[in-house]
Amino acid sequence: MNPNTMTSPRETIEADVIIVGAGPAGLACALRLAQLYMNSRKTETTISINPENIYVLEKAAEIGGHSLSGAVIDPCSLAELIPNFLKAGAPLTPVTKDSLRYFTSNRTFQFPIIPPFLRNRGNYVTSLNRLVKWLGLKAEQAGINLFAGFSATELLVEDGRVVGVRTDDKGIDRNGNPKSNFQPGYNLRAKVVVLAEGVRGSLTKQLTNQFDLETGKNPQTYAIGVKELWEIPPGRLKVGEVVHTTGWPLSNQQFGGGFIYGLSANEVSLGLVAGLDYEDPRFDPQEALQQFKTHPFIQKLLKGGQMIRYGAKAIPEGGYFSLLPTALEGVLTIGDAAGFLNSRRLKGIHIAIKTGMLAAETIFKSLLVNDFSLTRLSEFEKKWRASWIHKELWEVRNYHQGFQGGLWQGILHAAFQTATGGRGLWKRYLSTPGHLRLKKLSKAIPNKPKLKADGKLTFDKLHDVYHSGTTHVEDQPSHLRIADYDICNERCIREYGNPCQYFCPASVYEMEILPDESRQLKVNPSNCIHCKTCDIMDPYQIIDWVCPESGGGPRFEGL
Amino acid sequence: MLFGCPDLVLQARGINLMKDGVLVFVDQNNGKLNQASWEALAAGQELAAKLGCKVSCAILGNSASVAGQELASAKLDQVCVAEGKSLLSYTPDGYTLALNEIIQSLKPAWVVFNHTYQVRDFAPKLATSLGSGLASDCVGFKVKDQQITLLHQTFQGKFICEVELTGPGPHLLSFQAGIFRRDSIRHQLKCAPVRTFSIDIPPDQIRTQPEEAFREAKQSVDLTQASIIVGVGRGIKGPEGLDVVGKLAEVLGAEIAASRPVCDNGWLPMDRQVGSSGQTIAPKLYLALGISGAIQHQVGMKGSQTIIAVNKDTEAPIFEIATYGIIGDLFEVIPLLIKEIEKLKALD
Repeated sequence: MNPNTMTSPRETIEADVIIVGAGPAGLACALRLAQLYMNSRKTETTISINPENIYVLEKAAEIGGHSLSGAVIDPCSLAELIPNFLKAGAPLTPVTKDSLRYFTSNRTFQFPIIPPFLRNRGNYVTSLNRLVKWLGLKAEQAGINLFAGFSATELLVEDGRVVGVRTDDKGIDRNGNPKSNFQPGYNLRAKVVVLAEGVRGSLTKQLTNQFDLETGKNPQTYAIGVKELWEIPPGRLKVGEVVHTTGWPLSNQQFGGGFIYGLSANEVSLGLVAGLDYEDPRFDPQEALQQFKTHPFIQKLLKGGQMIRYGAKAIPEGGYFSLLPTALEGVLTIGDAAGFLNSRRLKGIHIAIKTGMLAAETIFKSLLVNDFSLTRLSEFEKKWRASWIHKELWEVRNYHQGFQGGLWQGILHAAFQTATGGRGLWKRYLSTPGHLRLKKLSKAIPNKPKLKADGKLTFDKLHDVYHSGTTHVEDQPSHLRIADYDICNERCIREYGNPCQYFCPASVYEMEILPDESRQLKVNPSNCIHCKTCDIMDPYQIIDWVCPESGGGPRFEGL
Repeated sequence: MLFGCPDLVLQARGINLMKDGVLVFVDQNNGKLNQASWEALAAGQELAAKLGCKVSCAILGNSASVAGQELASAKLDQVCVAEGKSLLSYTPDGYTLALNEIIQSLKPAWVVFNHTYQVRDFAPKLATSLGSGLASDCVGFKVKDQQITLLHQTFQGKFICEVELTGPGPHLLSFQAGIFRRDSIRHQLKCAPVRTFSIDIPPDQIRTQPEEAFREAKQSVDLTQASIIVGVGRGIKGPEGLDVVGKLAEVLGAEIAASRPVCDNGWLPMDRQVGSSGQTIAPKLYLALGISGAIQHQVGMKGSQTIIAVNKDTEAPIFEIATYGIIGDLFEVIPLLIKEIEKLKALD
């Protein structure tokens, strides 16, 4: 907190429930709460709950603006939340065709059978941005207050209990002084706070550190998904067609793969997911995506088309043994924020929605009996453990960790795990945090030649970033807090060659050449597309991603 | 608005107590009322009409009586003018003491302000000195059974809360700019009587010494108006490089603009930034010096009629949209350009 802004008084607002993050989990939670309220009003007339006291905070200027996924979704939980979801206008395209391919640099082999967990019949192709926008509308129609353009920057903790959140101070210049439009953030106090921030949330991080939540768990491991939305001549790909690829351009030591989804007659979503536990410090996910597009299979698909949107986002891959405790004093953690994702099925949205609904049911009961003790809130943990979520995650509890030895070992582990109900060779596969697996320059395999972007099929990073629609107020403090620039400019430069300039898919980090030919890290926070990769992957863990002035960030239209 | 009753203007009348009435604070500068004051007046009139009570206004400062004339045809019960040495220019202490005195002697129930920066500065102090409440930055009011409910936005306008001021008056209110309109001001044929207060504040009670009114030296640059713009990018290497660019701009009669890195490094102020996070320009002539021409910059300047690009890198994307391109070091090219332009100018 800056001393210049500290003196301003903050308004305090009391709420019943504060949900941080309007993604699938947070909105499902809000909507479910509203539904439970409506249902109980039918039977009881004197219910003391008011949906107006449920606040959903969203850092994006518009609901869905920071939501990005592949995505193929399993509709099981959505059908429970909104039974007639298709009639109600959910932007979903039924999957019509499914294939799994292995890529070499110029050839492709189709797997003769698709393993059951990757079959997508009955699922839907969607843009998470559009789905979230639609869910937001539903929540608003149900009487929920959505606050887009408000980020929660701090957890309010009193006597070991989370009692609320603080929203961001707006109008601070880059030196930390208030500008003429300065407005201090609000202290929002609530009976329950729900963290639905998505992957590597800032408040979740604060909670994790403050309450030491990772002890005894597998460290969370992540992947980064980088994608582009293309407009192509109709007829190239079936509407609802799903193609998953493995192999090139990733090395067989890397976890990850590509995806190509036919979103509509002329829209194709394509991208690459790469485990953030790779070894080569010069690996560049955005460049890998460009390479991916040069594969003949994809070139043919995209020829004559136009890239219209770009984005990236980290994905929590750690699974069951990396899950954070989901209920603590005054706070529940749901969706990606807690690590709810099935890395084998490549799906998390359905679990996010379900955790949101179960959290809502727990909170509703708490509101009815006016009891917000940990015992009461822990009902949430019991509920998800009793639901299919537990079964689904338990079956793949060791999946991602099995891939630490590369693709082929991973497939063997996966097969063995499938045969043993998810166990595999060990009860619990241990894993190393991804950033510790980076090799130093001296030990890493030499850099591949850089791809030259042609501006039609392949693009340089800045060009892609432009298509993320990201904007930030330039005159604000950097939201990428680097603990010690000396480490970057003196140590990292020698040891790892500043991997931030490569793993960042938005050119936030660049090594500027000074007049004396030496190089120095320059950070361009306004390019940031909020993927959180730097916070995760920096080898020294000295980058802290905090929320920039709210309303800033990408506009993931259609992603 | 000044017609009618000049002789009445400066004529003091007997004390006209306005118990339960509305007093509006209007601000003036060299005898001219500002927009905010007219809006405050409209607010006060409407409030008084709803309450069925009297409405007066108070003007302070050196040319208050001139401004008072401007007001005389507005539908007001009286115009209170306060002049005095201590009110020659605005000080929070002076205005607070003067208004305190006026309010104490008129005893209005409501005092209405427009929520200007000046009002923000002194109104809380005034409220405290009166032992009154202040509902600031209101966006409206409702009147029911003589009870006023004020509407106040919170949470950046997402909520509107209803505020009621209880306790003994006078109650102070300020309204957000633009809520009430100047053209809704009610007029009357008869001139409102003007009452002059002579306020005498001992100098030691005013603790601030106003300096000359601050005026921004230069308006923030409006690059969209310039017909020739010299844009600089990272190629200038450092703020020293700007000297020669400035020279070029001078001989061309051009404005200087920049791409993001230059402004980000603080070599030029941010209001000179062109591109997706800066201004969008379309001059007759744009010189892109040491600008690679990433799409973020291009979207801000590609509407320029003629683009001349100077860059060392033959593959810089700026050349794709440039009308003329010079491949070379800008520090070599610019002096040559200056020389040539000066030659041409000498011919004229």
